[in-house]
Amino acid sequence: MITILAAAGADVAADANLLDTFGVNWKLFTFQLINFAIVIFVLKKFAFGPITAMLEQRKKRIAEGEEKLKRIETQLADSEERTAAALEKANADAQRLIEEAKESAAALSEEKTQEAINKAQDILAKAEANAKAEREQMVTELKQDFGKLVASTTAAVTGKVLTEEDNKRINQEALASVEG
Amino acid sequence: MTNKSFFSTLAILGTSLGLASLAGAAGGEAPVLPKTAIELRDSGFISNSTVSVWIAVALITLFCRIAAKKITVVPAGVQNFAEFVIESLYNFFGGILGDHLVKKTFWFFGSTFLLIILTNYLGLLPGVGTLGWGMDSHGHFAEPLMRGGNADVNMTAAMAFTFAVLWFVWAIQENGLKGFLAHIFAPKGKFNGLMAVLMIFIFGVVGVLEIVSIAIRPVALSFRLFGNIYGGEQTLEVLMFIGGSWFGWLTSLPFYFMELLVGGVQALVFTLLCSVFLKLICEHDDHDDEHAH
Repeated sequence: MITILAAAGADVAADANLLDTFGVNWKLFTFQLINFAIVIFVLKKFAFGPITAMLEQRKKRIAEGEEKLKRIETQLADSEERTAAALEKANADAQRLIEEAKESAAALSEEKTQEAINKAQDILAKAEANAKAEREQMVTELKQDFGKLVASTTAAVTGKVLTEEDNKRINQEALASVEG
Repeated sequence: MTNKSFFSTLAILGTSLGLASLAGAAGGEAPVLPKTAIELRDSGFISNSTVSVWIAVALITLFCRIAAKKITVVPAGVQNFAEFVIESLYNFFGGILGDHLVKKTFWFFGSTFLLIILTNYLGLLPGVGTLGWGMDSHGHFAEPLMRGGNADVNMTAAMAFTFAVLWFVWAIQENGLKGFLAHIFAPKGKFNGLMAVLMIFIFGVVGVLEIVSIAIRPVALSFRLFGNIYGGEQTLEVLMFIGGSWFGWLTSLPFYFMELLVGGVQALVFTLLCSVFLKLICEHDDHDDEHAH
């Protein structure tokens, strides 16, 4: 036991000697420890703090910029897609309108033509009806004049005063001979 | 003169110079830089490495304040460069830790990386170790005003142990206490019957080893950084001694370039290891892969 304790004591002495050899001084070590703690605090606060904060801020801004760029690109692509779709729809609508206009114009033209034809036919029919009525009227007037003429001629030739019944009979006979 | 003959002449000159210097220096003993930082003017707590660290912090803060003075969304000038540096670091650590963790912990990793690299490079500037009080036998100041910040194990240990504490905090925040313990001790995979008992035992032992590994990490981080930076400074010191008063600058010049590389690599290694340790404990999947480390 004594040997072990003596050996341990010798080891402690050797360690102390080793520390002395390399100049380990507890007072200086403690002061350097405090010194180093102050150093890293000062460097953190005044040296690294503002610059790393700026680096972080710039990194954030770049990330935001990238994000915005992506969003703008997506929006642009959407917008282009929408524009293309709108153009396509507008073209289709325009084409449809043109077709409709063409069809409408053709239908209107047809309608107007038909209307004009109908009007012309009406005018023609009316003219024919008028002509027919005038002719019938003339025939009637002529018949009346012819009956009167025949009756007056008959009265003159025969020297007889004709009765109403005679006149009627003579007129019918004369008309029958003319029509027959 | 062709390039080949020029470099041959230079090599011969260099070798002659080195031999002459070695011969000159053979009489004296090569200087050894003290392994410990010195308490300035018996202040008790401010060492000459602390002064270097303060200067590095002041420079970083000043640079960032200038960069962030009129901070705008569209960067220009100093702001542009500061953002390039910080964003590069952020992306680098983000690649290891993932988006969630890097947002939470970048202030630590970014600060530590910039502090280590700038402190390492400041340690190479003239004036560090050559201004101060008193003189030793080699003509060096007995009490230099500045010392490479990371050539002081107290400084590297302060960083490593701060990370160790933060590692626990972040690990428990991310996993919860139960998840954290399960992450270390629980068997990975599904086992039944006797196999389950065996696996609980095996993973319990592995968990104990893991605890030892976790405990050793800050020590390893401290001594790795300290050893590399102190070793570099000692190398430069010896090479300057070999070159002598007139050619010391020439003999040490190639190693200054190497120290520039080492300063950057060590800053990277320290923060990279810290971030990997954090990632391993906070990762929720592929536990087997994590323990393979």
